[in-house]
Amino acid sequence: MYDVTKPEHDVAQAETKISARGVQVYYGDTHAIKDVDVDIADKTVTSFIGPSGCGKSTFLRCINRMNDTIDICRVKGDIRIDGQDIHAPSVDPVQLRAKVGMVFQKPNPFPKSIYDNVAYGPKIHGMTRNKAELDEVVEAALRGAGLWDEVKDRLDTPGTGLSGGQQQRLCIARAVATQPEVLLMDEPCSALDPIATALIEDLIDGLKKQFSVVIVTHSMQQAARISQKTAFFHLGNLVEYGDTDMIFTNPQDERTENYITGRTG
Amino acid sequence: MTLIAFLILFVAVVIGYVLNLRAARALRAGGTAMHSLDGFHGGYAALSVLIPTFFLVVLWLLFQGTVIEMLVKAGLPSGQLDGLGTGEIQLIMAEIRSIAGGRIFGEPEQWKLDAAERLVSLRAISGMLLIATTAALAALLLYRAHRRVSADFRARQGTEGMVHGLMVACATVAIFVTIGIVASLLFETIRFFKMVPFWEFVLGTSWEPQIPLREDQIAAEGAFGMLPVFLGTLVIATVAMLVATPIGLLSAIYLHEFASHRVRSVVKPVLEILAGVPTVVYGFFAILVIAPAIRSFGGELGLPIAPNTALAAGSVMGIMLIPFISSFADDALGAVPRSLRDGSLAVGATPAETVLKVLFPAAIPGIVGGILLAVSRAIGETMIVVMAAGLIAKMTINPLDSVTTVTVQIVTLLIGDTAFDSPKTLAAFALGMVLFLMTLVINIAALRIVRKYREIYD
Repeated sequence: MYDVTKPEHDVAQAETKISARGVQVYYGDTHAIKDVDVDIADKTVTSFIGPSGCGKSTFLRCINRMNDTIDICRVKGDIRIDGQDIHAPSVDPVQLRAKVGMVFQKPNPFPKSIYDNVAYGPKIHGMTRNKAELDEVVEAALRGAGLWDEVKDRLDTPGTGLSGGQQQRLCIARAVATQPEVLLMDEPCSALDPIATALIEDLIDGLKKQFSVVIVTHSMQQAARISQKTAFFHLGNLVEYGDTDMIFTNPQDERTENYITGRTG
Repeated sequence: MTLIAFLILFVAVVIGYVLNLRAARALRAGGTAMHSLDGFHGGYAALSVLIPTFFLVVLWLLFQGTVIEMLVKAGLPSGQLDGLGTGEIQLIMAEIRSIAGGRIFGEPEQWKLDAAERLVSLRAISGMLLIATTAALAALLLYRAHRRVSADFRARQGTEGMVHGLMVACATVAIFVTIGIVASLLFETIRFFKMVPFWEFVLGTSWEPQIPLREDQIAAEGAFGMLPVFLGTLVIATVAMLVATPIGLLSAIYLHEFASHRVRSVVKPVLEILAGVPTVVYGFFAILVIAPAIRSFGGELGLPIAPNTALAAGSVMGIMLIPFISSFADDALGAVPRSLRDGSLAVGATPAETVLKVLFPAAIPGIVGGILLAVSRAIGETMIVVMAAGLIAKMTINPLDSVTTVTVQIVTLLIGDTAFDSPKTLAAFALGMVLFLMTLVINIAALRIVRKYREIYD
């Protein structure tokens, strides 16, 4: 029934990449995330599901400290990537975001050429020494995002001229180009048609060989298709977290069961 | 007389409203299902009386002077105006008008006194006619509107239709005024080019619009080459833009991207105050502060510096334009979708890199549009340069020299007693036309740029 590509024992053995303890997020006076503990495995797809406004996107944005860019948002608690506290003073959020890439809900290519969109991160971080190396990085990223064959002849045309699905893959290529270790995806398919969605899902399946992928999704079918681990959020709480098979076939919590069977939304 | 006409109009409007409102109310009370609410029936009557009658009164007032004058002129004894120029005929008519107003100087001829008497009586007749026509038209419209009150009458759409028409009229006012301005400039400019050859004006390098008092005076002909004046305008506008563009853009970027709420809440209002300072005050600032500062600074460096430098006028003009450019750039940056900023930050760009490489390029169309509008303001700005720039036209691009601008020359040409048939005065209109065309081209370019690139990034 579910296209789970990795056997369950593999998941259990995978190393922990991200570990969060006691995470609280406040938007002004609103308590958006309440005391979330979670361990996210390396080289695994982890999906966050839950009704709208439950805090899953907010929690996702904690992992690369994107919430820092929102004035009224305060994050408390301990989040570690490879054991390193990401809120430690020695951690530069800018460097952190190069290591933890992010793809957004709506494709947001820059108003630049396809090439410059992908080369943006590598250029900023000085990852290449010359044009030839940069070309290689761009090609590798576009191949990784499954877009190379479609755009290799028009790399200098604007990225905004691509179709919605292509734009989203361009954004994935842009995130992949900085060679991150974690890839965060905030409902990456919600603005796409089923065919483009299927392409991206295939892509995610390939990406997990290199990264730890965390994806927020509203589609439970999608979570079941692509992820090995699933976390269910409800009203700012992490209600249940475990292997995707378990969550969808044998949920422990009544709220999870109600949600996945469609009784609450 | 006019007052009475407006009074009649006002009363008719009120009566129309009340009458129709009551009629509609009565119908409704009688159990009829009405299409429109009572208020719409009242409003329909009021508007259908107000609009045509009001236009009648306004048109009447606009044209009665001309018509009466024509009648008076036609009634003058034949031969009195023969062989006189337009200026002299105007003088005679003005004399007749002042006699009619009771101000008699010297001993005017009898035919002028007769004409004045006729003028007075014609005015009285016109006033009576106005009142009668107003009352008749208002009554007619009242009657028509009142007869229309019925269950099926669509007063709602009728009222809205008339309001719609009013809005169209208001919206086209600007167009007609623009046409009027262009036409008034155009006629005088054509007259100027009948006296001074077109190419001499456009390509001439000497601007000395003095007109000799006697025929045999040296330099008997004024020189009307616009190039030095034009060049002066360009020098000052360039200095102004060199000051305003970087300061305006950087302040906008700082305020938009980096400033904390507290800094923004102080700096933004101060910038807006800067935008509200009268240009005369900027002129004082240029004369009293900037020009002496530039002079003493130049003196220490051993540079020869004129008292009225283009640099002083231009830099103060630039200060005036800072809030203009900064508010345009602020709007343009604010219009860039937040998702682009997030996308850049998420690959590990710093806020500064994000502004420079993503937001700024995306906002460029709006920013360029703002800069071009500022340029056309710099070219058309008058008061600062009248006060702080020079009067003598020189062919120079040295900002430390004294230059003059198109606007300054227009002002000096039209100041004092002027006759509207000498090239000296008409040259002002030709300069005005050049100015108008320049700013028009720049504004069109600005609007096109803004429109062409606006929606690309959505």
